Amino acid sequence: MNETAQGLRTTSVGSLPKPDYLLHARAQRARNEISQEELDELSRRATQEWIRFQEEIGVDIVVDGEMYRGDMVAYFAENLEGMGISGLVRSYGNRYYKKPIATGDIRRPAPITVDWWKFAQSLTEKPVKGMLTGPYTIADWSFDNHYGSRRDLVMALAEVVRQEAQDLEQAGAEYLQIDEPAVSTRLDELDLVIESMAVVTSGLRAHTITHMCYGRFEEVYPRLLDIPVDQIDLEMANSGLELLEKFGAHPFTKAIGFGVVDVHTHKIESVDEVKKNIRRALDYLRPDQVFIDPDCGLKTRTVDEAKAKLRTIQQARDEVRSELVRA
Amino acid sequence: MIATSVSHYPKVGNGPGRQRLRQAIAQLDKGAIDRAALDRVADEVTAEVIQEQERAGLDLVTDGQIRWQDPVTYIAGRLEGFELHGLLRWFETNTYYRQPVATGPITWKEPILVRDFLYAREHASSPVKAVLTGPYTIGTLSETRHHQSRRDFVLELAGALNQELKALAEEGPAWIQIDEPAMARNPSVRYPRDFELFGEAMYRLTEGVNQQSRLSLYIYHGDVADYPQVADLPFALIGLDLVQGAANWDLVGSWPDSKAIGLGAVDARNVRLEDPDEVARRIAAVAAREIHVSPSCGLEFLPRETAFQKLELVARAAHAVEART
Ligand SMILES: [Zn+2]
Repeated sequence: MNETAQGLRTTSVGSLPKPDYLLHARAQRARNEISQEELDELSRRATQEWIRFQEEIGVDIVVDGEMYRGDMVAYFAENLEGMGISGLVRSYGNRYYKKPIATGDIRRPAPITVDWWKFAQSLTEKPVKGMLTGPYTIADWSFDNHYGSRRDLVMALAEVVRQEAQDLEQAGAEYLQIDEPAVSTRLDELDLVIESMAVVTSGLRAHTITHMCYGRFEEVYPRLLDIPVDQIDLEMANSGLELLEKFGAHPFTKAIGFGVVDVHTHKIESVDEVKKNIRRALDYLRPDQVFIDPDCGLKTRTVDEAKAKLRTIQQARDEVRSELVRA
Repeated sequence: MIATSVSHYPKVGNGPGRQRLRQAIAQLDKGAIDRAALDRVADEVTAEVIQEQERAGLDLVTDGQIRWQDPVTYIAGRLEGFELHGLLRWFETNTYYRQPVATGPITWKEPILVRDFLYAREHASSPVKAVLTGPYTIGTLSETRHHQSRRDFVLELAGALNQELKALAEEGPAWIQIDEPAMARNPSVRYPRDFELFGEAMYRLTEGVNQQSRLSLYIYHGDVADYPQVADLPFALIGLDLVQGAANWDLVGSWPDSKAIGLGAVDARNVRLEDPDEVARRIAAVAAREIHVSPSCGLEFLPRETAFQKLELVARAAHAVEART
């Protein structure tokens, strides 16, 4: 394959919707009506279904869809020593959640996601992304009852996320994504994100990615490129235009995960719309630099909506690709 | 030295029977109960959180804003001229507010908080302060499709809320507090800060309000150390966030004798409990003539049980200093 044909690889940001039977089982597990083993069995079934779907439509780098995880921060907090969970706090309206708390020195007693990753990878020849939540985001979305400084908490978490990333690489992961969605609310702390990500990714040979969303990243460009990862994944379907225009003056030097469908709407984008978004990327970036995916995790969509959006992305990519080869 | 809370208080707790409001709202959404039944639960929980603040040792309480969805909607939604649109992040927190959009002139049509204040006073044994989100913050966090300029918009809002202040003052609360977090310097958010407009809005807001109630201004989620003239605004007391706005300690050091000060000295956004002796030491060093001590902002960022402990801490520190002087 030539460079053009290899470019524009497709992937997903991470989470995918859980099928009804799994949502039901998770609720039953919360009420202690089924065992953890029974729930795990259904999580495996759902993982298998999503991997098969991604293979069928031809996705290049697949994800396990995080069928076994609830909240992206609480899941890690529950599996770390020195972290606990608070009482209920309100986010909006009648929605409440339990916020993680750093209660002591943070340690990782055992690998957290490695067995799940191995299981997912055993189901496919395609590379499966290792998916982690970044230290800055875990810290920002938690209370601190122990460290007393934001920096100390973030750096302690960076060490345990580094251990998990190393173990995933050891297990064979070629792509490792470390999500930092919290960055966008505090762009003034970008330096801390850069410093902690350096701890996580140092010494890794895998292709490292960070996903961030819904921020005014144009204000911190090109400093954004100093985050020590190979790829930055951004939502570009509904915004990002201002950022893209900056690429003209200062080229984007990394790979980019280029979000081309909105994850917050039920509406399925047309293939033409998505092709237009992909073409927008190619005004500034080489095809081999660009990874095509949805704006963010698809877990808030229905299974059918998520499948339709992923199919649209795939078809749009295939059409743009063949147009490039012909040109 | 007066121990007080700032604005909101957690609506639900974690023990049995402590999530009645959450359950009632869910039932209303399902159509299982009516609005009046929900209002009764909100009233009960309001009485409960007033008593909780008193039990923690506060000298001056709020109604906990139990009925408020967020700091903006409850006020803007009852002024004429606003529509309520999508959710936006409240500062750099993980909480949200519904964005008001002005589609016509902003006018005051009826009292917004008077009934809530009267209910709170009836159920409190200590003095109750009425708390209102100010025109500068509502204006900054809203959008207008009607006004020629941001200045016109904010000043019109100030005029509308002036009538609310007058209606509240009729009932003679000990204190009426205006919350203006959007005037705080906060490196994470980019709300435009215009002190000149802010000052104008504060004069418009307080013009001709019956002086029987004392007026206070609270600015939190950051500092205002770059505008020491904040102390000259027409309020009896200015409340400062000394946690997220640690630079405010500079203002405290040169605070004018004539003006009361509110010290937001306990972190309302993290569960870690400060050492009460340390808090007492810091506030004891403040020379102002009249001091209110409080958490750094409203307490809804914390679980209910921790919010209570924070208030106990505020009261203990304030009263320890009081006893020494
Ligand atoms: Zn995202």
